[in-house]
Amino acid sequence: MNRFRSIRPARRAGILLALLAPVIFAASIAIVAGADTNAPVAQASELKVAAAKTAKKPEKKKLTGAELYQFHCNRCHAERYATEFTSAQWKTIVTHMRVRANLPAAQAREILKYLQEDSGN
Amino acid sequence: MKISSLLFGTVAAACVMGAALPHSASAQVSADDFNALKKVVEQLGDKVQKLEQTHEQDQKTHQQDQQVIQQLQQQLGETKAAVTNAQQTADNVAKAQAANPAVNASPGPLHNVTMAGDAEVQFGKTAGQHSAFTLADFAPLFLYRASDDVLFEAGFDIMNNNNARPPGGHSTSLSLTFATLDYLLNDYMTLQAGQLLLPLGTYSERGAGWLNKIPDDPMVRDDLLPQTGTGVQLRGAVPVGETGQMVSYAVYGVNGPSSATGTATATGDLDLAGNVGNGGNWHANPSGGGRLAWFYPWKPHYDFELGISGQTGDWSDSGNRSWSAAVVDAALHLGPNIEVKGEHIDTWVETDDVGKIHPSGWWIQPAFKLAGLNLELPYINNVELVGRYDRENDDGLTAGGAGNTKTDRYTAGGIYYFSNTLLFEADYEWLISHGVAPLPPNRFILQLSYGF
Repeated sequence: MNRFRSIRPARRAGILLALLAPVIFAASIAIVAGADTNAPVAQASELKVAAAKTAKKPEKKKLTGAELYQFHCNRCHAERYATEFTSAQWKTIVTHMRVRANLPAAQAREILKYLQEDSGN
Repeated sequence: MKISSLLFGTVAAACVMGAALPHSASAQVSADDFNALKKVVEQLGDKVQKLEQTHEQDQKTHQQDQQVIQQLQQQLGETKAAVTNAQQTADNVAKAQAANPAVNASPGPLHNVTMAGDAEVQFGKTAGQHSAFTLADFAPLFLYRASDDVLFEAGFDIMNNNNARPPGGHSTSLSLTFATLDYLLNDYMTLQAGQLLLPLGTYSERGAGWLNKIPDDPMVRDDLLPQTGTGVQLRGAVPVGETGQMVSYAVYGVNGPSSATGTATATGDLDLAGNVGNGGNWHANPSGGGRLAWFYPWKPHYDFELGISGQTGDWSDSGNRSWSAAVVDAALHLGPNIEVKGEHIDTWVETDDVGKIHPSGWWIQPAFKLAGLNLELPYINNVELVGRYDRENDDGLTAGGAGNTKTDRYTAGGIYYFSNTLLFEADYEWLISHGVAPLPPNRFILQLSYGF
């Protein structure tokens, strides 16, 4: 340290500048390279966030008319074939069963839709 | 010297950078290459921009085409409908003219009328009696949907009873099982008015001949509870979530049980059917009742239902005697082949002669379809085995102060399904009956049922 202090200030500044130059250069390369290597990671994480935002939450599966038919109708009697009655008859019968079996209206509508799809002529 | 020192430093730094740069530049792209690459990228950018513009134009054209197609489809549908209507009208007119020039081609008032129901024939033998064809029953159910919100429904029983000797004799009857006007107030509530099937438990509403897996009713259903009542009812169900669960309810007011004679003795005065039965209305105040139930399915054919219901009111003005009932019902399905259901029934009857009595009982009925065994044998898959245990303690309701009668009944049988609506039932019953009015020790019943 004493020898370095004995060097004139201007020369000391030159020596420090000469030493700092490669350090700064190396650091700049590392920074640039680091930026390049981190870029995909940043993009991937952003993509994940964006995907998470845009992805819909998994919806609960809504019961189909066929499933509701199995839930309710087989409780009391053997299942009837859709072809046994016409579309108009099914509407009347399902209205009757909605009252008799206390079916929620929305479920009765799904069951009716299912039965009318293959109803008889 | 200062200048020379700074120059020395700068030169030293330049030398170091000069020594370092060539190594790193060797891994970089030259300026020419970079410029060439830049030019290529710019050209690609221009191309992408042009493609995007072209794509936008294509989308606009596609949307216009879609609108045109939609309009054309609509016009085509209207044209087809017009053609179909014209053809139908022409056909109807031609038929009407051929048959009768005055015939009206409208659908008519029977368009929304549907008939359902069931029919049964029974053959049986009770201990101490001859065997006989004991019953022929035709039970049509007429439904008239007046609108989306209004339904009229009425069920009849046209029945012929042939009693085996002793005592012999026969009877033919036509009775109104129920008759109601149903007004669907909203998705969760329906108003019913008329002669109601009472929701005391579930048996009254779900016990038609081809629904019940045993030809006769549990003793407690016939002896202790009314099946119907004239009055009004609010009923419905509220779904719980999207899994099929629901809570159902019913609240009603009906005339209720009455006295057959005007007095209130325990020996045969109680007319459970009230003024829709044999006697008049011997009381002033109607009865009130209701049912609350929870239905829990966890997958198709697998469910559990638990309900509690009750009714109370006066049955005779003679001393303002009251009649009350409480029913707990449950049903369990474990797949399409296993079912267990049952009810526990308590009633309380105030009488003139023996005070307040407590007739009660319960029944449980398991059933198993042999299709569940997957045996792949002919006919076996069409068989369902059924059993039932039912118990009744009339607590003097039959004989009053003379004493009570207790009966345990064990039933075993089976069903053969010819189809989903035509079934043959065969059952044997063992009875252990003690008291003032014991029942015969055994009985068998065969029944052919058809639901329609």
